[in-house]
Amino acid sequence: MYRYDEIDRAILTDRVAEFREQATRRLAGLITEDQFKPIRLMNGLYLQLHAYMLRIAIPYGALTSAKLRKLAYIARTYDKGYGHFTTRTNLQLHWIKLRDAPDILEHLAEVELHSIQTSGNCIRNLTADPHAGATADEVDDPRVWAEAIRQWSTFHPEFSFLPRKFKIAVTAAATDRAAIKVYDIGLRLHRAEDGELGFEVLVGGGLGRTPYLGSTIRKHLPTRHLLSYLQAILRVYNRAGRRDNAWKARIKILVSSLGAEEFARQVEEEWEREPRDGVDLPDEELARIRAAFAPQGFETLPPVSAAFQSAKANDRAFARFARHNVKPHKVPGYAIVDVSLKAPGETPGDCSADQMDVVADLAERFSHDEVRVSYEQNLILPHVKLDDVPQVYAELEAAGLATPNIGLISDIIACPGLDYCALANARAIPIAQDIAKRFADPERAEVVGELKIKISGCINACGHHHVGHIGILGVDKKGEEFYQLTLGGSGAEDAEVGKMLGPALPADKVADAVEQLVEVYMRERAEGERFLDTFRRTGMSPFKEAVYADAR
Amino acid sequence: MTMKALTANRLDDGEAVFWMGGRWVDRFAEAQLWGDQDPDADAAEAHAKSELTQVVDAYLIDVIESEGGYAPLSYRERVRAMGPTNKLEHGKQAEGGASIEALVHAHGAARSTGRVNLIKRK
Amino acid sequence: MPTLVKWTGADAELAEDPFTAVDDDQTLPRGDVIISLTRFQAEGEQLLSEGRKIGVRVEADEAVEALAYDLPRIAVVALVFPKFRDGRAYSAARLLRQRFGYEGQVRAVGDVLREQAHFMIRCGFDAFEPADGSGPTDWAHVAARFRHVYQRAADDRTPAFLERQG
Ligand code: SF4
Repeated sequence: MYRYDEIDRAILTDRVAEFREQATRRLAGLITEDQFKPIRLMNGLYLQLHAYMLRIAIPYGALTSAKLRKLAYIARTYDKGYGHFTTRTNLQLHWIKLRDAPDILEHLAEVELHSIQTSGNCIRNLTADPHAGATADEVDDPRVWAEAIRQWSTFHPEFSFLPRKFKIAVTAAATDRAAIKVYDIGLRLHRAEDGELGFEVLVGGGLGRTPYLGSTIRKHLPTRHLLSYLQAILRVYNRAGRRDNAWKARIKILVSSLGAEEFARQVEEEWEREPRDGVDLPDEELARIRAAFAPQGFETLPPVSAAFQSAKANDRAFARFARHNVKPHKVPGYAIVDVSLKAPGETPGDCSADQMDVVADLAERFSHDEVRVSYEQNLILPHVKLDDVPQVYAELEAAGLATPNIGLISDIIACPGLDYCALANARAIPIAQDIAKRFADPERAEVVGELKIKISGCINACGHHHVGHIGILGVDKKGEEFYQLTLGGSGAEDAEVGKMLGPALPADKVADAVEQLVEVYMRERAEGERFLDTFRRTGMSPFKEAVYADAR
Repeated sequence: MTMKALTANRLDDGEAVFWMGGRWVDRFAEAQLWGDQDPDADAAEAHAKSELTQVVDAYLIDVIESEGGYAPLSYRERVRAMGPTNKLEHGKQAEGGASIEALVHAHGAARSTGRVNLIKRK
Repeated sequence: MPTLVKWTGADAELAEDPFTAVDDDQTLPRGDVIISLTRFQAEGEQLLSEGRKIGVRVEADEAVEALAYDLPRIAVVALVFPKFRDGRAYSAARLLRQRFGYEGQVRAVGDVLREQAHFMIRCGFDAFEPADGSGPTDWAHVAARFRHVYQRAADDRTPAFLERQG
C-alpha cells in the first residue's frame, strides 16, 4: 500500500488550510454562494436534499484499517453513524454540516485521505481492479499506475476546468472488475508478444443520457509513456470538447462525433509534438511507487486448507458463503473474501460506523491490513488465509456483513436516488430493497445464479443501470415515480448497453416485473446459462411478453 | 387550491428550511403559505436570494391540502420535508406527529418538480 | 483603466497597463493596443510598422497556433476566459510558453478569479485582469498556497517526483 511521504502530506495539509480559509470566508458572507459553490464542489461538498453531502475519495478503492477506522470515526462524530459506498468507490456522508467540513478534512488528512477532485470538471478520483495485487489473472499490479495517475492528476493546472468531469479506470486482468469500458479513459494492462508491458487505451466510454462503450485508440502503449499519452488525450479534449451544452460535453461525444480513428490521430499528433521528458515519470519514481505495492508478509502455505475444507463440509451456510464470497488468490493458501454490503432489506452500499470498525479489525488481524472497495458497492478483504476464512466469516456474520450473495440477484447496485440526491427523479433504494427481499432466500438466489441488477434514480446513471443485466432507471412522470427497465446490459469484459424492455412501470410494479423476468429466464435457460446468456440467445420478446401480458 | 411556500437549505448545516414571516423554520408544518397569485411570495423569494449568510438556493414550491393539513405538491419536496424513506429514524420525520403524517399520505402530484419559477432560477 | 496584476515569478504586484484593449468595431486610439486575432490578421502588419506595441486577444475557441509565426513581434497575448469554468486558455497558455517558446506577456482576461491564480501561473500566465475585485496581495496569497506540485508545467517549479530524487 502506498504511504504518503513529506511532499504528499504537505500538499494535503495546504489543501485543508485553503479550504478552511474559503469556508470561513463563505460563512462570514465575504463571498457569495456563486463564488463558493465551485470551491466546495472541488472539495467534494455537495448540497443535497437534507444536508450537505461530503464525497470522500478512496483512490483506486484501497483502504487500510487505519483509514477505515477514521471513516467510522467521522461517520459517528459528524454524521449519523453510517456512510454510503458508491459505484465510484467513494464514500458519501449524507448529513454533513458546512461548518464541520474543514475539521473533517483535517481528520481525513491524518490518514492520507481527502475529498479532492470528487466533483467538478476535473480528473476525478480513479478506480482500479479491487482484486489488484491479489488475483492470479493480472499481468501487473494496476495500483502502481493508478497511484502514478493520482499524483499526476492532482491539482493539474491545465486540466482542472475541462468541458466536463473526467473518469479513468485501470485494470491489469482479463476479467474486468473495474468496468473500464464505461469510463472516459479505460486502461487495460497487458503484455505484447515480445513480453513488453503496455496499456490498451480505450477512450469515450460513459453512461448518462447517451451511453457509449469506449473505443480502443491504441492497442499497445508502453507503460513508461502513460502520463504523456494521457496528457495528449486530455489536451485534445480540453481544447476541442464541447462547452456549449453540458449534456454533450463528455469526451464520449467528441470521440463519437470525430470518430475514434480521427480522435486517435489527433491524440497521436499531439503526443508526437510534445516532449515526454518531465511528464512521464522517471524510472526511479516508478520504482519507488512500485516498491510500495510489493507483496509482503505472505506465508508459504499448502494450497488446500483443512480448516477451510472441514468448515465447508460441516456448515451449509459457510459453504454457501465460500461459493459466492470467497475468490481464488494468487498465493497458495490465501483467498480474497467479499464483504457484502447488500443484506436484503438494507440500503445497498451503506455501512454503519460499527460495521466499518469490524471490517477494519478483520483487515488488521487477517488481511495484511488491507480493505478494498468495489464499484459494485461491496468491501473486500484481499489477503485472507484460507485457514482464517471460517473465523472471518463468523465475525462478518455477527455484524450482518456475510450475506452470501456476491454477483447474485440481491447484490444490487443502487444510487442514493430521491431519498438524498438533489438531481434525482425517483427513489432507487426502496426499489432495491423490495427486490432483494423477494430473493432473500439464499437457496432461491443461488438457483437463479449470476444476475446483476443496477438502479439509478435519474439519467446521470450513477447506478450504472445501462450495464445491468437488468437495469432500472427512475423517471419522473408528472411528479410520480416511474421506472424504465432495460435488459441485457453488462459492465464486464463482455460490456454492452442494455435494451429497453417497454413502457415505464410504476414503483409498486417493479419487483413483480423482476420476478416475472426471472421466471422467464428459469423457463428458457439452457444448461449453464446465466440470465444474460439466455437473454442474448432469446432476445427481448419472451421477457417483454411476460411483463406486459396484463397490459395487452 | 394550490398554494405556495418558500424553501431553501440553511447555509451553515444544509438543513431544509421554510420561510415563516421573516425567519427560517425547520418544520414544513410551520411554513408560511401564500395564495397562488400573492405577490408577497415573490417578494419573499427575492429577499431570500439577495441575502448572503443564512440560506442557499431559495425557491418557491407548490403546496396542496392533504389529510386536513398541507403538503408540498411534488414528491421531491415531500422527501425534503420528511427525510429519506429508507431511514425513517433520520430527518424531520423522526419526530412524527400529525403534520408528518399529512406529508406521508399526500398524493396527487401534478407538476414535475413542484418548483415554481424553475426557469427563472437558472 | 482596469487593474493589472503582474506576476514577477515570486510575487504579485500592481502594474500600470500601457495597453488599450480595443474592440473590432472601435477606431484605434494612439499608442499600444490589444486587438482581436481577426483584426491583427487584417491590420497587424500596418500597426507594427507604425512602431507601436501590439497585443493580441485570443478567444477561447481560437487556436493560438494561428499566431505561431508572429509571436516574436507580439508584446502581449491576452487569453480570454469567457467563464472561469472554461479552461481552454490553460492549454493555450502552456502551448504558447512550452511549445512556441513565447517570452512576451501572457495575460488572463475575462472571468478571471483569484482562486485560479495558482493554476494560471503554473500554465504560464504572468498578467491578470481580475474580475472579482482582487488585488496583488490576494493573488500572491493564492499563488503561494501549495508548497509542492505534482507535475511539470510551464512555470519553473520542480515536480514532486524530481524533488524526491533530491
Ligand atoms: S443517478 Fe441521478 S439520482 Fe442517482 S445519484 Fe446519480 S445524480 Fe443522483
